[in-house]
Amino acid sequence: MTNIGSGAPVGRVLVCGDGLAAWMALAALARQLPASTAIVWVRAGEQGSSDLFYGNVTGPSAYAFNLSVGVDERQVMLDSATAFSWGTRYASWGAGRSWMQSFALPFPVIDGVQFHQYLGLAGAGGIDPFVAGLQAARRGVFVHPPRAAANGTPHPLSRAEYGYQFDPADYARLFAVADRVERVAGTLASVETADGRVTGVTLDDGRVVTADLYVDVSGPDARLLSVVADDAPTGRRIAIAASDLPADDQAPLRTVRATAQGWESDTPLKGRTRRTVVGAPGDVVGAEATLGRRSQAWVGNCVGLGQAAGVVEPLTPAPMLLLERDIERLLALIPVSGTMAVEAAEYNRRFAEDHDHAALFQQALFVAGGMPDGAYWQEARDEPVSEKLARKLTMFERRGVLVAYDLEPFHPEDWLILHMGMGRRPARHDPLATRADTAQVVPFLTGMAREIEQGVATLPPARVYRTQLEQYLRKAAS
Amino acid sequence: MTGRRISSVCIVGGGTAGWMTAAALANRLAGLNVAVRLIESEEIGTVGVGEATLPHIRAFNTTLGIAEPELMRATEATYKLGIEFCDWGRIGDRYIHPFGNYGPSDDAIPFYHQWLRLRGLGDTSRLDEYSYPIIAAEQNRFRHPASEPGRVESSFGYAYQFDASLYAKFLRRYAEARGVERIEGKVVDVALDGENGFVRTVKLADGRVVGGDLFIDCSGFRGLLIEGALQSGYDDWSRWLPCNRAVAVPTESRGPLGPYTRATARTAGWQWRIPLQHRVGNGHVYCSDFISDDDAQQQLIDHLDAPMQAEPRRLRFTTGRRRDFWKRNVVAIGLSGGFLEPLESTSIHLIQDGITELLGLFPDQGFAAEDVDEYNRRMALHFERVRDFLLLHYVATQRDDSPMWRHFRALTLPDSLQHKIDMWRTRGYIVPYQFGLFLPPSWVAVMLGQGLVPDAYDPRLAGIEAGALAKRAAALRAEVAGAVRATPDHADYIRQSPAAAGLAA
Repeated sequence: MTNIGSGAPVGRVLVCGDGLAAWMALAALARQLPASTAIVWVRAGEQGSSDLFYGNVTGPSAYAFNLSVGVDERQVMLDSATAFSWGTRYASWGAGRSWMQSFALPFPVIDGVQFHQYLGLAGAGGIDPFVAGLQAARRGVFVHPPRAAANGTPHPLSRAEYGYQFDPADYARLFAVADRVERVAGTLASVETADGRVTGVTLDDGRVVTADLYVDVSGPDARLLSVVADDAPTGRRIAIAASDLPADDQAPLRTVRATAQGWESDTPLKGRTRRTVVGAPGDVVGAEATLGRRSQAWVGNCVGLGQAAGVVEPLTPAPMLLLERDIERLLALIPVSGTMAVEAAEYNRRFAEDHDHAALFQQALFVAGGMPDGAYWQEARDEPVSEKLARKLTMFERRGVLVAYDLEPFHPEDWLILHMGMGRRPARHDPLATRADTAQVVPFLTGMAREIEQGVATLPPARVYRTQLEQYLRKAAS
Repeated sequence: MTGRRISSVCIVGGGTAGWMTAAALANRLAGLNVAVRLIESEEIGTVGVGEATLPHIRAFNTTLGIAEPELMRATEATYKLGIEFCDWGRIGDRYIHPFGNYGPSDDAIPFYHQWLRLRGLGDTSRLDEYSYPIIAAEQNRFRHPASEPGRVESSFGYAYQFDASLYAKFLRRYAEARGVERIEGKVVDVALDGENGFVRTVKLADGRVVGGDLFIDCSGFRGLLIEGALQSGYDDWSRWLPCNRAVAVPTESRGPLGPYTRATARTAGWQWRIPLQHRVGNGHVYCSDFISDDDAQQQLIDHLDAPMQAEPRRLRFTTGRRRDFWKRNVVAIGLSGGFLEPLESTSIHLIQDGITELLGLFPDQGFAAEDVDEYNRRMALHFERVRDFLLLHYVATQRDDSPMWRHFRALTLPDSLQHKIDMWRTRGYIVPYQFGLFLPPSWVAVMLGQGLVPDAYDPRLAGIEAGALAKRAAALRAEVAGAVRATPDHADYIRQSPAAAGLAA
């Protein structure tokens, strides 16, 4: 082994597993770890189709994440079926409820009061007309959001944000394993441990491979981490299945519908639309997993990323937001201490917060009346509402206050759009908002909505934009 | 009663907290038909909570529409780029905690990791040389930040060193001009509602009775309403921050005008020095377990660098926070809400936090438990995170030359702080948070400044060629040095501006 404990990074990292998390992690490690650290890749054997649980949408953070691991958007557009995404439309999410959950930068603060506090005052029904990405999504149009118009004033789309619509297997290939990764032939047979640490992995041909740090990306089975961890997720059990439909409008919007058995989504990609079906295991035939996170993702010298640490239902971009954060957290904490105890402590602290905060957002989708009655829905409804979520819901419903916790994966504007979309309306608005002159507020809001409306009216359909972008990129590359 | 709006606010106590609150309410509640009254007594002295501020105060003043030169003239203010800490890590050490980052703020991995790596390779530059506000402060220079991003002259914030009692007077004029009614009098009794225990009225010594829907307790340490009437309870943090006394005295101005406050560690506490335009504020914060009041005063006097302008004034306090900052219809803002020694100029800032959170959760007459609870959650977090940061100064040290320093050596730290220190020592990693006053560069400044050098830098930097790093670092140092050379002298800068007041020519 190498010189650790003296401030030098680990000498040898073994990554065990396959699929999206493995490829993203390998790309990130290969890109960011110093050459002195060896990266070894061992496959864990059949992982089934658990990657489906990563879903079909990323958040806006994917752009920067990908870039930081060496995948720029040109590759994403040229080499995969990935499409641009303004967000998700929740259609018929119980009793006539329907809204578009699009990404957005923070809304303006007016006279020290948050934007949405003026909506009720001005008789505006909802937030939709003021969300540029949402209005673009409604029309099926896309361009990269310009930050400023030609004359220097903010562009109507300047507060829009976009993510990607993807197929996990196809998206994974973008993170092709780098040269510096040492691929070990054979697959994992067993894990050797001593004193709560992994001492090596034995392959099916009997060879033993060792490392300083073991990164488990073997999916929900967590082939390494489960051997040293004390617990496993205990949440609801769900099943997922996916199929492709012939379609090529590349609409920049995923559609999710509640069904009696659970929900299904249609995600337009380049050349096809991916349909994903989720429900209770008895109702949906497909990959199955238990939702929830382990109490610790990093035990001893073994850290689980993605589903090896916790499985998240792909109802929102949460699974990808968390996978990206898992990898970034590991990169920021590549161990330099002998026991890795401090790194593990901080990793686990942030891991728990990130997952729990993302879970608040996901659970908020189920705190609603008029949802179907199937087994899936009953189990989802039976989950207790945590104090943190209750605080968010009550403070918004009572007075439109957006309670926030440290470094949440979902931002206040995501929460605002979710609350409003689900029909939550503050019982009263901020008393300070009433200072404003209604005769000024109404034209201001009308003007803002009109600018957005006019701004998106001239934009090209997403498919046309994509085609032109690809042509441009190919020409530029040749 | 639920849903009826607040039509009257009664602030009990003037001083910095009372008048900041009154001014903010006069501004932010204007047009809402809310009567704001403030009761204060000429008899009761106010504790000038800290005369040094943090950059956030500029946002407070801007919201109120207060122009900087006017404020500075009225309060004898000077500019502040940071705090100089002397004798903290070891006797003889000094460092400046600046209002700004080290190196470029947009590096994916904070610049100080590069510096740590270069240091390991024998580079002898100080991290300070990559901070414009530090070098400017060391040379007693100041200018306003440049607006062009990317230049080092835009890479910092600034605050003021001012006379807090003049600030209170200034805000009093502001508030009274905007309809706040000042009531001269001393509160002698508090009447509670027989049903819900809310404060209904306060009685003054002359028999007058003043009511209100919402009461704001700015009565100082004693917490006349929040504790005296409502027994909120106090979380005593003396086991971590044992300093409980202070003695303060103004002196004449001598020597160059520093755009920074100085905090010098002593054997049983620390001494402040805050240069204003017309005088210098000095004080000694100490722990009575380790030094007598007379000795503490003598120690202060022995270390003054100019003649005293008044008799030393003594203060007592207990570090900690009110269990409920907000209880029923009473919100405690200022010292009534809690006290943390002014080592990092946080007193006025915590008043500002109290006001900001109150305005964000402004109640109606229902005083919903959820609002009260959320306010208390937020304020508790603000206080706790500042507490950890202050405590860091006492424990990131090799000093063991007096009983106080030995006390800190033996101390069990709050888990949150111990974890933060462990993460730093191991690998220069700053445990992040979103809702807290002090950002990572502040933690870096104090930990490095007090001799906590990490065992490792971020390993992601190991692959970068050292020569390229050194070249870039040299360029950054030269940029800072050049920018500081072009920066005017602090005193001249004030003298030649409309901010000049009592500054000697």
